[in-house]
Amino acid sequence: MSISLDNVSFTAGNSLIVNGVSLTVQTGTVLGLLGPNGSGKSSLLRLICRLRKVRSGIVRLGESDVSTMARSDLARRVAFVEQQATTETQLTAKDVVRLGRTPHRSLLSPLGAKDDAAVDEALSRVGMEGRARQLWQTLSGGERQRVHIARALAQSPTELLLDEPTNHLDIQHQLEILGLISRLGVTCIIALHDLNLAAMFCDQLAVLQRGKIVATGTPQHVLTRDLIGDVFGVQAHVETSSIHGRCNIQYIIA
Amino acid sequence: MSGAIFRQSVWWAHGALAIAAFSLLALMIGLAVSIGEISIPLATTAKAVSNRLLGTTFELSRIHQGIIWDYRLSRALVAASAGASLALSGAVLQALLRNPLAEPYVLGVSAGASTGAVGVMLLGFGYGVLSLSSGAFIGAVIAFLLVAFLAAGAGGTSERIILCGVAGSQLFNAATSYIVTTSANAEQARGVMFWLLGSLSGIRWPDVYLAVPVTVLGFVVSLFHVRALDAFVFGTDAAASLGIAVRRVQVVLLGTTALMTATVVSMVGAIGFVGLVIPHAARFLVGPTHDRLLPATVLGGAIFMVGADIISRIIIPQQVLPIGVVTALFGAPAFAVILYRARRTA
Amino acid sequence: MCKFLAAIALAFGFAGLAAPSLAATQYPLTINNCGREVVFNKAPANIVSIGQGMTEVLFSLGLADRIAGTAVWVGPVLPQYAEVNARIKRLADNDPSFESVVGQEPDLVAAEFEWHVGQQGSVGKREQFAELGINTYIAPADCVAKVNADSGDGVRKELFTMGLIYREIAELAEIFDITDRGDALIAELQQREARAVASVAGAAAKNLPVVFWFSSKEINGDAFIAGKNSAPAYILKMLGAKNVVATDEEWPLVGWETIAEANPAVIVVATMDRRRYAADDPTVKLNFLAKDPVTSQLDAVRNKRFVMMDAQSMNPTIRTIDGIEILAKGINSFGLAQ
Repeated sequence: MSISLDNVSFTAGNSLIVNGVSLTVQTGTVLGLLGPNGSGKSSLLRLICRLRKVRSGIVRLGESDVSTMARSDLARRVAFVEQQATTETQLTAKDVVRLGRTPHRSLLSPLGAKDDAAVDEALSRVGMEGRARQLWQTLSGGERQRVHIARALAQSPTELLLDEPTNHLDIQHQLEILGLISRLGVTCIIALHDLNLAAMFCDQLAVLQRGKIVATGTPQHVLTRDLIGDVFGVQAHVETSSIHGRCNIQYIIA
Repeated sequence: MSGAIFRQSVWWAHGALAIAAFSLLALMIGLAVSIGEISIPLATTAKAVSNRLLGTTFELSRIHQGIIWDYRLSRALVAASAGASLALSGAVLQALLRNPLAEPYVLGVSAGASTGAVGVMLLGFGYGVLSLSSGAFIGAVIAFLLVAFLAAGAGGTSERIILCGVAGSQLFNAATSYIVTTSANAEQARGVMFWLLGSLSGIRWPDVYLAVPVTVLGFVVSLFHVRALDAFVFGTDAAASLGIAVRRVQVVLLGTTALMTATVVSMVGAIGFVGLVIPHAARFLVGPTHDRLLPATVLGGAIFMVGADIISRIIIPQQVLPIGVVTALFGAPAFAVILYRARRTA
Repeated sequence: MCKFLAAIALAFGFAGLAAPSLAATQYPLTINNCGREVVFNKAPANIVSIGQGMTEVLFSLGLADRIAGTAVWVGPVLPQYAEVNARIKRLADNDPSFESVVGQEPDLVAAEFEWHVGQQGSVGKREQFAELGINTYIAPADCVAKVNADSGDGVRKELFTMGLIYREIAELAEIFDITDRGDALIAELQQREARAVASVAGAAAKNLPVVFWFSSKEINGDAFIAGKNSAPAYILKMLGAKNVVATDEEWPLVGWETIAEANPAVIVVATMDRRRYAADDPTVKLNFLAKDPVTSQLDAVRNKRFVMMDAQSMNPTIRTIDGIEILAKGINSFGLAQ
């Protein structure tokens, strides 16, 4: 397995944000991480790429314990896309994507052919190759998000963590990005809000409630009326879609 | 449309720019050595420099020789090095703190230096043992350590660091005011204010031996961290996810800027605007990636400060304007232009 | 030539006398002092004196027993008054507070400098004292043809002369109804001045470039040098020497480039008790002159032509006469008077 968590806990201040989470993600699969706000999704993602230190438990990438890996090795394997990252510096889209090559570059090396290739490929995969020279400040919210994803892709990661990557995108690009991610062949964990999109594009789902995993498994298995009502507090009707064969959730408004 | 003039990676363009910048710096230093309170003919200046550098034996008044070599040249070199240090510190802080208004004094260094200086001047701290400069340096370091301690306790994000710097500056400025109002008469207070504006009049060669190595050290350390500085652009988490050891880089770079700034302030006083404006001008010329930005900033700062020193000595006949006034005269309008341009592209 | 100058000095002295000598003072007496009319109904009995120069004038007039408190001391008091001074309360070495002055219940506050008692007085404004029924007297040397509004030590528009001190003595003598003592003091000072001037007659001392170095903020930095109308400039004029500085400011900050270029023949170094700036210490000053790569090349430094002079003699006070004597002696000792 590519990523595994073994009874991981995390506190911030006095509150227990992640409470004894155990999880495995098979290599090459896409795991959707679901849960209401404050359930610990962002913290969990950050624990996996060691942006935060676990209080107890072990996070493993393959066979290696993440806490013993060298930082640069970790960065060459795992890429992380935040919810919102902004800057006032006048960078072009290409400059931003180039940053993704940082873990692969030594101090003295200029950008090599391999780096340029990775950058160009990443840009075209997110559909921004025509806008490479455009200033960051002039891009729309959705375009910026795509550039962030391209930056993560330029890291040539084997594991990709994304924290609500489709928040600012229009529906066409939401579908495009999620489709791209699901076809990458890279192990992915995506935190999502939209249950239907999660059902359409993820191989496996994990549902968090107040820092604890309450369900894991295929979308079929996890997304039941009872779970949705219990965790998300809404009434829903779940059926298998005749269009794409996956779960389709219809919300019932009282 | 890109935001910089030389941002394309055409290496020979950058090489040409570097050569032009070095030449300009050499020219400015030459001007600074030739111009001064008393007028010395250019030929004499050239002979004096040649005598010392090349070992020629032109006949010259020993006083003129001393003025040119020991007074003016050392002053020009310290001015260049101070400008380079301040500009470099500004660029590094703007990257680390993700704030285009960051400048070298944002971490309390200048406030601490003034407290140290008035402590020595008015309260007789370390009387007889400590010079004004040493007192200022110690004050600067104490202030920085206090701010660093506060910031680490507060979480160490960019915003928190800036807030702690503001708090530290206010604290030490209050301490300075307290000492001045309780211990000084009006004449002494005037003397203190004059010191705070910056002055290069007491510089001799021993100061060069301190200022230049500190600048070079700071530059080398910063160059080692160009990738890290680029990676900070989206914040500490993004940098960490790119493999940067965030805490270590912050400690090393903040410590380096504090050292450079404390050295400059204790030697020549608090000269403003250089650390704020030069990095922006450099970004305008060569773009924001730090492998080009840092060298451009260092050269730009050196050239600007030497130029400001020359102007401060010739703008009013028979009088030397405090150099902080000259840098503000040019820095403030430049700053307004920066803000205006930023507004347009935002 | 020097006898002629001595005659001028005497003429200034006589011109400075405001009232016919040897007459008793008629009270109420109105004196126009530094732009203000001050009325004395009787001779003051309780004085607070702010400024060493003013205090020493009062001692010289034999008024020590009427002084309730003193402040602002640059160095030790003239030795002949040390005993009498020890019995008088010293309010502060530097600036006293308004309350401490008023607390002595004086009927006269005498000040040497306008920046202590004056329009922007750090101790108090003249109106503040007047409201409490206290008269104020400021040394004419600090306000006649002198602008104290902006720069540190003020700007003197006309050359200072001892006549201003003689005027101060005469006015104080009138206020206290001791005009005979006043006249005697003036005569004595004038004699000493004339003798000192005569001793350097025959001058190669003529147009000798001399610089008076008071102190510097930083040891290596610009120096406080006596301006062209200051008391030291008067000393130089009386002795026929030349001041290297041409600005009107009383103590301008001058760079060493300029001083070095002027290549002074004699450097007068101020000695004082104050240690506010590192360069206040005369040994520090001499050390700098010997070690600095440029000043060590100056004629005055190579030949060690230094005259050590008490800082108080460089201020416009009765000690200016001492200053003339000391410098004259120095010039003679360097063999420059022949």
